[in-house]
Amino acid sequence: MIEPEEGVPTVLNLSEIAEREKEEEEKVVEIVREFGAENLIYCMQCGSCAAVCPLARVGFEWYNKKLIKALLLGLKEELLDDPTPWACVACNRCTEVCPRLVSPFEVMFAVRRMMVEEFAIPTLAIEGLRALYEYGHAVYMTGREARKKVGLPEKPPSTDSDEQALKDLKTILKNTKLAELGLIPMND
Amino acid sequence: MSNDEKPRIGVYICHCGENIAGAVDVKAVAEFAKTLPDVVVVRDYLFMCSDPGQELIKQDIRDGLINRVVVAACTPRTHEPIFRKACEDAGLNKYFFEMANIRDQCSWAHWHEKEKATEKAKAIVAAAVAKARLLEPLEDRYIELKKDVLVIGGGIAGIFASLDLANAGFKVHLVEKSPSIGGNMAKLDKTFPTNDCSACILTPLMVEVANHPNINLLTYSEVESIEGSVGNFKVKVRKKQTYVDWDKCTGCGACLDVCPPKARVPDEFNEGMSLRGAIYIPFPQAVPKKAVVDMDACIKCGGRDFSGKEPKKSKSGKPILAPCERVCPTGAADRTPYRDPNGEIVELEVGAIIVATGYKVMDKRVFKEFSPDHPNVITAMQMERLISATGPSEGKLVKPSDIPKLLEAKKKGEKVEIEKPHTITFISCVGSRDNRYHTYCSRVCCMYMLKQAMILKEKYPDLDIYIFFIDVRTPGKDFDEYYMRCRQLGIKIIKGRAGGIQPIPGDKLLVKGYDAEICKPVEVVTDIAVLATAIEPDASLKELARTLGINVGAEGFLKERHTKLYPVDTMTEGIFIAGCAQGPKDIPDSVAQAKAAAASAMSLLEPGKMTVEPLISEVNKEKCTGCGVCVPLCPYGAISLVKCEDGKLRSEINPALCKGCGVCTAACPSKAITLHGFTYEQVLAQIRTIARWPEIQA
Repeated sequence: MIEPEEGVPTVLNLSEIAEREKEEEEKVVEIVREFGAENLIYCMQCGSCAAVCPLARVGFEWYNKKLIKALLLGLKEELLDDPTPWACVACNRCTEVCPRLVSPFEVMFAVRRMMVEEFAIPTLAIEGLRALYEYGHAVYMTGREARKKVGLPEKPPSTDSDEQALKDLKTILKNTKLAELGLIPMND
Repeated sequence: MSNDEKPRIGVYICHCGENIAGAVDVKAVAEFAKTLPDVVVVRDYLFMCSDPGQELIKQDIRDGLINRVVVAACTPRTHEPIFRKACEDAGLNKYFFEMANIRDQCSWAHWHEKEKATEKAKAIVAAAVAKARLLEPLEDRYIELKKDVLVIGGGIAGIFASLDLANAGFKVHLVEKSPSIGGNMAKLDKTFPTNDCSACILTPLMVEVANHPNINLLTYSEVESIEGSVGNFKVKVRKKQTYVDWDKCTGCGACLDVCPPKARVPDEFNEGMSLRGAIYIPFPQAVPKKAVVDMDACIKCGGRDFSGKEPKKSKSGKPILAPCERVCPTGAADRTPYRDPNGEIVELEVGAIIVATGYKVMDKRVFKEFSPDHPNVITAMQMERLISATGPSEGKLVKPSDIPKLLEAKKKGEKVEIEKPHTITFISCVGSRDNRYHTYCSRVCCMYMLKQAMILKEKYPDLDIYIFFIDVRTPGKDFDEYYMRCRQLGIKIIKGRAGGIQPIPGDKLLVKGYDAEICKPVEVVTDIAVLATAIEPDASLKELARTLGINVGAEGFLKERHTKLYPVDTMTEGIFIAGCAQGPKDIPDSVAQAKAAAASAMSLLEPGKMTVEPLISEVNKEKCTGCGVCVPLCPYGAISLVKCEDGKLRSEINPALCKGCGVCTAACPSKAITLHGFTYEQVLAQIRTIARWPEIQA
């Protein structure tokens, strides 16, 4: 059998997963419910969230519907390295169509939070966080030269150019879980 | 209206919405009908059975335009009575009506050949007109109805049907083949969707049946034969030999424990998970609570075999008795008097019969892929017994493989450590929705699996429970809410029927499945695997149906007269069906059907007499040669050879028994038997029209 080195194995032994949950004395379902996906347990796997999910359309494997089922079965470690939750564009179409008021979007974000707790964050996300702390923009603007050429100020009229606002933002971020986890340097 | 009057036929052609008009050119058929002999009025209408449709016919009769009616529409099975009544209401003898079926046998059958369908419709109408020209007026007959009712089967459906009838003042004979009433419901632990205890809601009803002055309870009895017809059935019931004097038996149960180990056999009530003696009371709440001796299991201790012999004497001069008769405080188990192994025949006369013989659970042994011989692979009914307080483990959840150990310890009064099961796995649709076994859905499995899972999870929160489903079907009232509660409890629902179970070391089972929701094969290591095996008709149902002269469908369940309109009636008038004998259903549906069957029997019998169609056969004594060919052919036993005044034997038909099937009429070599409504002349006129159709068409 071809076993991938990490990620979700080709054959899932559900009893092993249940056993692990008991040993670790924490249920994945409870963790993600704690992180904002309270209604996860009402999911009946109808699939309407997946029908509208852009991630499912472009081929990510653990889009909303499948991710919810995987969590209900107790999968956690197997999902930590999966990029799908980070690709969620928060369009919230899933929330609009869900007949069970599950808010699959909340599940995606709860899983992100769970991943952060486990330091399972893709490099790209770390970059984004760093940029947010430094400039107030998760997606850092690279067009400073271009702005100058057309006669605009180098920095946009946002937190980036407002010293006080940036200071305030940094104070806020220092008081979040982000600082507690020490994922990015916050020394200044 | 006299028969001599020249026929003036009205032909009414129904569009039946698009049902007929979608394939048949109704206008063309109408134009054609105008050319037929004796036809004076032809009309077509969107729905002839509607009030304005019937009014067309009535008005033409009242106006004196017509004295024969042909309606070309759907099936006489459902609509002939409606149009006959319209004729009668307008003052025409209702047997001057003839129906031409141009829907079921024409438009529906030839939907894609419109031209040919139209031609066929013309032929059918022409044949009906040919017959209508020869119709005779007939008068309805009446028969007296007996008011007693026979209910076969003492499960929840039979119990409710009996109680409703008895409360309404009808005398009920309730026949049950096992020693106690209660049926399958008595075996259940709790019932969905309210989880109330099955025995708690059933037992009081069982007692009410036993004490009801209008109910004659015949348990351990089977229907032997049935003669007669609606209103006047003669039934022979065999009361099987119990080998215990029920007048003396108090149900104390003293005999149960002394029956020796050699005479012990798997206990039916516990689905074979424990043993019972040859003398037994089926379960603690049995009604009547009386013991019976299972002669196949009895080893006739001390040669005590009910043959009428006095007991042998021991050296001390004491009589040698079987243990059961020795401990019986009332002498009910006395083995000295001769007891006829054939039991006793009871004859009953009833006006109606309700068949509520229930179901059986499919045997798991055919499913080799699920290791069915492993003691911990059980049916859902076994699971019911396992979690029931009256079950083999007294409601304690143990692996079935540990039950013998548990029972042994109990007998010795010792305590025994038994490992608790950690994981239970349910597998749905075992034998249902399966073209190798039963194509139908057993309807209750989804709910009872959820029920058992819920009860177990609430009682033992640490249990891991998996349910492998093809689809979860929960269409009943409050059912889907029940299902959602199960999901919220953390019971793991896997979409996909498991493909196999294999025993693995450590007294465990490996269930191999596939989760279609995450598209991955999955495995579960489980202590107990529960198979939701299909609900099947009992093996004896076919034989009973033959005895009763009612039909069974392809799957072996009793066939109702009409799926939607006559769901508790059969093709034999006066015989009704209820509960799982008609098809798989849950308790609410069984009860509803039982009450419907009881109400149908009441509305049939309450007037005391009923109208019978005069469409029956009659012997022309002058033509009859007394050959007797017709006598054995009659399926209703209505014909006998009777000695006439001239000393010759001739056939005579009992009009109360004749159903007008026409077998005798067709078989009579001298054409001496006339079937009214289908005379030789009438039928031949129809056949000639059809046979000469190409000619007529040209």
